[in-house]
Amino acid sequence: MRAATKTATKKTEKLDLYRKYSKEYAASRNPAFVKIGSATYLFISGKGAPGGEAFSEAIGALYGVAFTVKMTRKFAGKQDYAVSKLEGLWPDFKCGEPIPDKDQWTWQMLIRTPDFVKQNEIKQAVAVLQKRGKGAGAERVHLESIEEGLCVQALHVGPYEDEVATLAIMKSFAEKEGMKLRGVHHEIYLSDPRRVEPAKLKTILRHPVERIGN
Amino acid sequence: MRTVTLQDYKRRILRVLTHIQQHLDEPLPLDELAALACFSRYHFHRIFKGMVGESVKEYVRRLRLERAAGRLKLGSASVIEIALDAGYESHEAFTRSFKACFGASPSHFRRIRRAQFALVPSGVHYRPGKTIQHFRSLRRGENMKVEIKQLQPMRVAFLRHVGPYNEVGATWDRLLTILGKDGHLGGDTMMLGICHDDPEITPPAKIRYDACVTVGDDFKPTGDIQVQTVAGGEYAITTHTGPYNNLSRTYSEFLGQWLPRSGRELRETPCFEVYLNDPQSTAPEDLLTDIYAPLAPQNSVTRR
Repeated sequence: MRAATKTATKKTEKLDLYRKYSKEYAASRNPAFVKIGSATYLFISGKGAPGGEAFSEAIGALYGVAFTVKMTRKFAGKQDYAVSKLEGLWPDFKCGEPIPDKDQWTWQMLIRTPDFVKQNEIKQAVAVLQKRGKGAGAERVHLESIEEGLCVQALHVGPYEDEVATLAIMKSFAEKEGMKLRGVHHEIYLSDPRRVEPAKLKTILRHPVERIGN
Repeated sequence: MRTVTLQDYKRRILRVLTHIQQHLDEPLPLDELAALACFSRYHFHRIFKGMVGESVKEYVRRLRLERAAGRLKLGSASVIEIALDAGYESHEAFTRSFKACFGASPSHFRRIRRAQFALVPSGVHYRPGKTIQHFRSLRRGENMKVEIKQLQPMRVAFLRHVGPYNEVGATWDRLLTILGKDGHLGGDTMMLGICHDDPEITPPAKIRYDACVTVGDDFKPTGDIQVQTVAGGEYAITTHTGPYNNLSRTYSEFLGQWLPRSGRELRETPCFEVYLNDPQSTAPEDLLTDIYAPLAPQNSVTRR
């Protein structure tokens, strides 16, 4: 208890990754190229409709691990940081092909995490959550670093269903500059879909690109 | 059985408005005023403020000043005598309040002898010996999004904060650190705040606020972290969007505007707040807070 009081009042600079890498999160309605460096995330992958049971369990597991790791470090007096916003990696639908049933969608949900967080801390968090009966899906959460490199990025305002239109604008922007999309697209959720009306939802859309001819 | 109406709410508030005017020299404790209007002491001050547009304290202060203005205009009592009667301990404090209310110092006011009451939302002014028959009530709450839900009782671990409302962050920090390292912050955990006092009437140093986290039966109280049960039953719920320090505006609209038009009454248990997002990674204008107001069962409403 005494240790906790100490950590809570100790004035250490809290790390906010979103602020530290603010250039990587700059986005407006007009697409632009952004260089994204290597970043570490907590990952969970799954299959099913967004908002469905499997999806909700995955989000709960991801946040459960994220907060347990953070608070365990904090209690031990280690460097404090803010748990970042929720992000997701989604496969692109092929142009011209029918959009698959939502139940068949595969996704990876992620939360950016400081590099100093290590794999054994994740394991420990999962174990402690399981002991409390709060570990549903937690064992699927893992730590991974990715480097997206050059990306085209834009701010999408509106329902998630309408992202296709913004992604199409991003694609043609990239092509005009001699680039083509590669890999899967990345979504960074700035708004909370539980209460914000769909027309006002803000999402950063990011898509890695490469030079045509590569 | 009969549904409670806006007119009932207004009638009960009018009773308080008149009572205050007739007893301006008395201490006017809130519990007594709440009882007079048949409101729960947990909710009375918010209903009053939401309906009248001023807190009880502001209304009492203004009526005392308006009475003082009348005496300045007509009588021959000295300014300091009038100041003391209005509940002020010094000439300076009285002058400051008086100026804020009437735009002129007491002595200047006496010279020009022109009583100009400031505009107030309720339209109610000091009229000695008269029963107040009517007051204007704002009509903001009509379009408020409110959901009514039946809740199960919730077991919560909590830490009590006593002090200014804007300093509850440190209490939260401590509670979440201890619960988090023990694995109590799983996916479906809810974070609740129960404010036992109103920041507008209780001195900041004495405000009691419980930072609460839902826990399972296996949680044992540890140190100063205790356990309580948040009452189940029917609740009206609305969402506040924006910084926490604007919550009182939403409370006013919810309990002072929506509630009187809802046909419902509140139960004798405090409101609570549920924090939907993490203030560390959310911009203040995007923060979402659900306000839960406990409803009395519909058939328990009696004619008052």
